[in-house]
Amino acid sequence: MPPVGEKINRRSLLDVLLAIGVVGWLASVLFPVLRYLKPLGVQTQNGPIKLKGEELSKLEKDHSVIVRAGAARIVVFEDSTQQLRALSAKCTHEGCTVQYVPGESVIWCACHNGRFDLDGRVLAGPPPRTLEKYSCTRESDGSVVVQLGRGPEAA
Amino acid sequence: MSAPTGGTHPEAKGLYPWLDRRYGITPLIEFLKHKEVPIGSHSMIWYYLGGITLFFFTIQLVSGVLLLAYYQAGESTSYESIRFITTKVPFGWLVRSMHCWSAHLMILSLVTHMLSTMVLKAYRPPRELTWITGFLLFAFALGFGFSGYLLPWNELAFFATAVGTDSMKAVPGIGEWLLQVMRGGTDVSINTLYRFFALHVVVLPLLTVGIVAFHLIFIQRQGMAAPMAHDKPGRGMKFFPDFALRDLLLWLVCLIALASLAVFLPYGPGIPGMEWELGKKANPLAPAYPGIKPEWYFLWVYQLLKEFPAHLFGMEGSQAAIALVSVLFAVWALVPWLDRDARSNRASPAFTDLAMAALVFLAYLTLKAWDIGGGEGPLPDVRAVARACAYWGLVVAAATVVFRFAMGSARFFDFTAAAALQIVLHGFLGVSYLAAGAIAVLLLAVSLGVRMLRSRNAARATVGGAPR
Amino acid sequence: MIALCAVLLLAAPADESKYPAPLKEFLAAKNKDGSPVLGDADRKALAALPDHTRDLLGAAAESVILGSAAHLKILLSLDLPPAALELVAQDNCILCHSDPGNQKGKTLFATDPPARKSNPLLNLKEFVSDVHFRRGLSCSGCHGGKPSDEMMTKDVYARWPKEDVRHSDRSWIPGFCANCHADSNFMRGFNPTLPTDQLAKYQTSQHGILLLQEKDSRAAQCVSCHGVHGIRNSRSRLSSVHVQRIPDTCGACHSDAKRMEGFRLADGTPLPTNQVAQYKESVHGKALLVKGDLGAPTCTGCHRSHAAMPPDCHSQYAKDNQQCAATAVSFRNALDTLVAGRAEITAPLERLAERGLDVEPLSRTASDLDEALVQTRSKVHTFDLSSFQAAAQPGNDAIAKGRELIAEERREARFRTRGLLAAIGFMSLIAAGIALKLREIGKRRIT
Repeated sequence: MPPVGEKINRRSLLDVLLAIGVVGWLASVLFPVLRYLKPLGVQTQNGPIKLKGEELSKLEKDHSVIVRAGAARIVVFEDSTQQLRALSAKCTHEGCTVQYVPGESVIWCACHNGRFDLDGRVLAGPPPRTLEKYSCTRESDGSVVVQLGRGPEAA
Repeated sequence: MSAPTGGTHPEAKGLYPWLDRRYGITPLIEFLKHKEVPIGSHSMIWYYLGGITLFFFTIQLVSGVLLLAYYQAGESTSYESIRFITTKVPFGWLVRSMHCWSAHLMILSLVTHMLSTMVLKAYRPPRELTWITGFLLFAFALGFGFSGYLLPWNELAFFATAVGTDSMKAVPGIGEWLLQVMRGGTDVSINTLYRFFALHVVVLPLLTVGIVAFHLIFIQRQGMAAPMAHDKPGRGMKFFPDFALRDLLLWLVCLIALASLAVFLPYGPGIPGMEWELGKKANPLAPAYPGIKPEWYFLWVYQLLKEFPAHLFGMEGSQAAIALVSVLFAVWALVPWLDRDARSNRASPAFTDLAMAALVFLAYLTLKAWDIGGGEGPLPDVRAVARACAYWGLVVAAATVVFRFAMGSARFFDFTAAAALQIVLHGFLGVSYLAAGAIAVLLLAVSLGVRMLRSRNAARATVGGAPR
Repeated sequence: MIALCAVLLLAAPADESKYPAPLKEFLAAKNKDGSPVLGDADRKALAALPDHTRDLLGAAAESVILGSAAHLKILLSLDLPPAALELVAQDNCILCHSDPGNQKGKTLFATDPPARKSNPLLNLKEFVSDVHFRRGLSCSGCHGGKPSDEMMTKDVYARWPKEDVRHSDRSWIPGFCANCHADSNFMRGFNPTLPTDQLAKYQTSQHGILLLQEKDSRAAQCVSCHGVHGIRNSRSRLSSVHVQRIPDTCGACHSDAKRMEGFRLADGTPLPTNQVAQYKESVHGKALLVKGDLGAPTCTGCHRSHAAMPPDCHSQYAKDNQQCAATAVSFRNALDTLVAGRAEITAPLERLAERGLDVEPLSRTASDLDEALVQTRSKVHTFDLSSFQAAAQPGNDAIAKGRELIAEERREARFRTRGLLAAIGFMSLIAAGIALKLREIGKRRIT
């Protein structure tokens, strides 16, 4: 009969082997599963985007419109001085979509009553950061173009 | 109302005592500690098949849920999303090929499990309901296969589903209604896919999980079927850890096999009815092409439908075929009640023979459906196929006989003989499949009748004469 | 109805008693062994003729120019339509020169000249299928004289140079043929679509320059290619200038090293004689002669026919043959590279697909390559290296991309195999651990 110590050693060696096996096996299962579940990278859009016809007419009618830029949303609006502005439409608080309130000249998030000024700075409510600002221009042919990436005045 | 209490002291601290006080776990642990698996004179492997089937079913649940992360049912998305999964999503190819392989392996282990139950007579009282729930699970598995086949919305699946659902109209009375309900219209369309999708991912999984629970509870309450009394009851094996660890070991072997198959043959072994290459997108306006076959476990029905003439005994051929299939299924489901010998714990080689005969019968039809020996042309030579398959059918019959000798259950061969006779008559002598079957069944009936008379006379003689 | 009448007419026994008397004599003529000279087939053919044709034959026989039953048998064997047979029956030239009892081998038109060891140019069968004869132009049309003359007159050969000259100096032939063929008004009466500029073109051709200016009678002229008696429309497969027969027709001279002796290319090297052999091995030759694609280029496609000259690429794109050859070789190599690249890219496609890898980008690259190959091939005949290379560039890019994709797919396949092996390794480790545990438990139970 082998000494007790040796027997324990053999058992613990077996346990270590089993543990290595289980951990390695779990990794070999989890790695593919996690890779599989991780969404494929959404293409981030960087170039300028041009507003489509119906977006333009909505801008005309409501003084503001929310447009898609890749995965992001951008609110384009016309302030009381007829100047075009563009801000990220994703509230920095919980990510709701904000809206432009022409009467009060504020950007308002209805979820938790967050208020931003027309440059995206927080005026009131829980939002922790300013909204990202983009430069927005009206071309000579009447079309509206939003420059993605950080606008110069937001820097 | 008394809360369950375990065996632990009311003041003991720790998670286990806490749980035990509330849910009474100790009796369960005690149960598991003492649970034993009977050891018979036969090979133990038959006891693991249920567990293996359960393992593959679990793989199906996990991989199925993963597929749902990307699959989108729809006219313009079903095919595209499967294509996206297999080509673009990292490891998507692996998830799909595991799902497909595991499906086929599950059916395979399920069928083997069922045959072994049949041969070992594990269905005898008090386990009739275990057999019935098992039979239901078999039916659900077929339903899973049939409904899942359409989901990629590719050409092959489209036509196979069109043919498969079409046989539903043979159901007397409600056939046309059933067909329309199944298809969600008069023809197979994307509406059919929606229905099949719901069936495949909600209805069948719920039903299966429920019935599996009953199946397992029955087994836990009654224990695994001990070998028949005449089969020398042996010692028991501890369920935990001895049997459970062995279960685990086999599952690992199965997983290794499954993963290897999925990696090296991601589109299946390439046997008709066992391949899942995506191919072309389904187009209802494209003409059908040769080689459209259902999955391998449906091939025998497919072949049977081909063997029936257009009209038989005033019924449509397909109606007659479906009627025959229904009768066979009903007999199979009612075996625990039909097998009187096993009910009274006597050896019942007749039902072992019936199971083997069923195997030979199914094997011959399946081989014929594969057009083995039919040459390379698009239209195989039917006579040559019947002949070539007859050789292999007889090989299967011979294998079952050898198997039964090895099992020590070689006393009754009437059913297998009838199945082999049909093969010989049809394959070698050119008698039509149905006529050969009729002759075989007639001879079988005569031989069974003679046996019955003889045993009745013997019984009378025993009753009349002095008991020995 | 018409068919029925025809059957009745044919079936009606010909009333041989109404035949002209000489014909009746011919019918009675017997061979030495006693069998009739005119067999059943001949009788039938004779019976099928209109009375008028038979009368003309009878008249010819009367004047003894149709000399014997055997002679009549020869004429009937030509299986001519009645109108052509009437022409023959009234043309003393043909009648006399086709009578084996009247002419020697050198001047006899035979149905099978080799068998009779006579002049191969005098093939009666060829002659009666000649495009000229079929339009009514018979012997006298070229040779002179009149068909009704019973003997050769001075007029025969009067239009041609004297016999001692006309065989050694062939420069008179083009002009002679052009008497009719350059006369558009005249030709329009026979074939309005036939060009009449052959002589003008010929004069600019290498052949024409050699023959007409340098009086070198080795140079090809009309009959060298078109033949003499038995000229056919070039659409006929039997014509020596049918597109598929042109290589051999040209080769008759150009593959004959002895005949080409002394001729040199512009750069002074001897004129090669292996063009036809090379052509037959070329993609063009294979297309024309093996695949039967009548649109495939033959000799005249590049060298032209009546205005035959070395092809344009020499004069337009290359200073000399070497440059031309170098360009051709670079074309060939570029195409071979593309074809080899295609094979390289498509070869592993099936195996990769079987492994479940995404081969769609690869097969798309392969079809890009196919497209480039088509474009490149079409640029060969521009003989312009730069536009050719521009067309080949996408193909080369596709090959590079295909190689990259294949390498990527192979990496992916290796990754899959390795990942599987790693997973199997860990699982085996667990399995071995469980097996050892089970053994331990078993041992413990026993002890």
